[in-house]
Amino acid sequence: MKEKNTLYGLVAEFADSSAVLKATQRAYANGYRNMDAYSPFPIHGLAEALGRRRTAVPLIVLLSGMTGGLGGYFMEWYSMRVDFPFNIGGRPLHSWPAFIPITFELTVLCAALSAIIGMLALNRLPEPYHPIFNAPGFERASVDRFFLCIESADPKFTLTDTRNFLQDLNPIQVTEVRA
Amino acid sequence: MNEALRAALTRWQKIALVAGLIGLAFCVLGAVVRTPQFFVSYLFGYLFWLGLALGCFGVAMIHHLTGGRWGNVTRRFLEAGFMTLPVMAVLFVPVFFGLRFLYPWAKPALVAEDEVLRHRRVYENPGMFIGRSVLFFAIWIIMAWLLRKWSVQQDGTTDPAPTRRLRKLSGPGIVIYPVTATFAYVDWIMSLEPDWYSTMFPVIIFIGQFLSAFAFAIILLAWFRREPPFVGVVSTTHFHHLGNLLLTFVMFWTYVSFGQLLIIWSGNLPQEITWYLHRIAGGWKWIVVLLALFHFFLPFFLLLFRANKQRVVILMSIAMVVFLVHIVNVFWMVVPSFYPQGIRIHWLDIAAPIGVGGIWIAVFLANLKSRRLMPQNDPRMQPVILHAK
Repeated sequence: MKEKNTLYGLVAEFADSSAVLKATQRAYANGYRNMDAYSPFPIHGLAEALGRRRTAVPLIVLLSGMTGGLGGYFMEWYSMRVDFPFNIGGRPLHSWPAFIPITFELTVLCAALSAIIGMLALNRLPEPYHPIFNAPGFERASVDRFFLCIESADPKFTLTDTRNFLQDLNPIQVTEVRA
Repeated sequence: MNEALRAALTRWQKIALVAGLIGLAFCVLGAVVRTPQFFVSYLFGYLFWLGLALGCFGVAMIHHLTGGRWGNVTRRFLEAGFMTLPVMAVLFVPVFFGLRFLYPWAKPALVAEDEVLRHRRVYENPGMFIGRSVLFFAIWIIMAWLLRKWSVQQDGTTDPAPTRRLRKLSGPGIVIYPVTATFAYVDWIMSLEPDWYSTMFPVIIFIGQFLSAFAFAIILLAWFRREPPFVGVVSTTHFHHLGNLLLTFVMFWTYVSFGQLLIIWSGNLPQEITWYLHRIAGGWKWIVVLLALFHFFLPFFLLLFRANKQRVVILMSIAMVVFLVHIVNVFWMVVPSFYPQGIRIHWLDIAAPIGVGGIWIAVFLANLKSRRLMPQNDPRMQPVILHAK
């Protein structure tokens, strides 16, 4: 358990979406990487400004989708061809058109589930405690305020420089957030 | 529109018109020396381009209802596309003269010996066919004319009333169009094979029309992206969204096409399965392979990747493949009814799509030149365009 008074980061509060977008772009240009922005609604371009990285989610979805599809097809082929051959209307035992719906459904099911579970896992969610909620007035991040938090874990982070940098962006206020 | 662009469009219009007239001249020659083949080829070539016009019509109405910045930048292409409908109605007239070469129900000898056709004669006879076609074209042309009129009206005023009217028409319109077109395509394509019925078939036709319209819009937007008023407004985001829609309709087309195959294959009833037997006989099965590869697998897998949808040249190439292979798709739906033993490609199968297509493109470009290339004052679009990267 971390000590109560470790610094998590410095958070700047803004009144509108374009201000937080500009602030994020400038922070990124200044070399800050460990940071996050909080907003009541999606802001176009904000993810890119934060330096969105490629994630493993597409790969996870592709692999699970293929597993689901191949697994579904194999299940049908195995039950029809090997385990319990059954003559239906004189069709071949391995009748691929009839196997496609299940193959398709299992592809979609596995891909969709793995997309949600993979997204949650890579975001380390659910996360019952997060230091950002110690920021004063942070509940307005889901109403009408926009926050940019530069985390102390960032290699470029120093209390005075980062505070000065954030002050220069004309925020409503800059506060320290304890972990 | 600047003068250089206008001049370029005028030049293309002339090229298209000349190509169209040459194609139609060959069609006239064909009509004299190879009359039955002419009607088959003409029906196929005509239905592809009519499908593109109707696809533009449907996609434009979808956009009026859903909004989205993809439609704002492509709307004038779609409008110019569906405003070809009056000319397409005129170009349909030759088919009326070929009914007895095309449709079993119009051949008295066949009707006399086929009980089903005899019973259907009340509904399927030349008079009813022509009457229904005229009625449907009238409905589509009136709706298309109103969609265009109000859209152009909005250019001149900031009052959102024209956009509201566009939405009010598009709501019922998106129902009226498939309902009327279902009857139309039962007449025009399904009744080529007298005993074949499929409730899914008109849906396959519409989805193919939407797909070709999306591919067409992507190709044009890619060509125009460096021209005013598109330069600075059209971004990778627009292409990304259009690419997603193209992917959606590639999958939708595959879904309904396979759905019909699965149902008919499972039922395996003589009068239903013959439609597919005609379409895999002889060389036709290579067309099926071509369609599976280029109408589904290739665009599907390429469009899964975000980078391919954001790189304009790649997306345009995929759209081009989809557009061209959709011509083959229409060919495969129409022509095997006449050559159930195996594939036959006649020179008229090349001349007819070029003839109709040249005229179509010339009319399309004339429509495109006559108005602003970007709709103005759309009340839903102002902030989006301002914030677009």
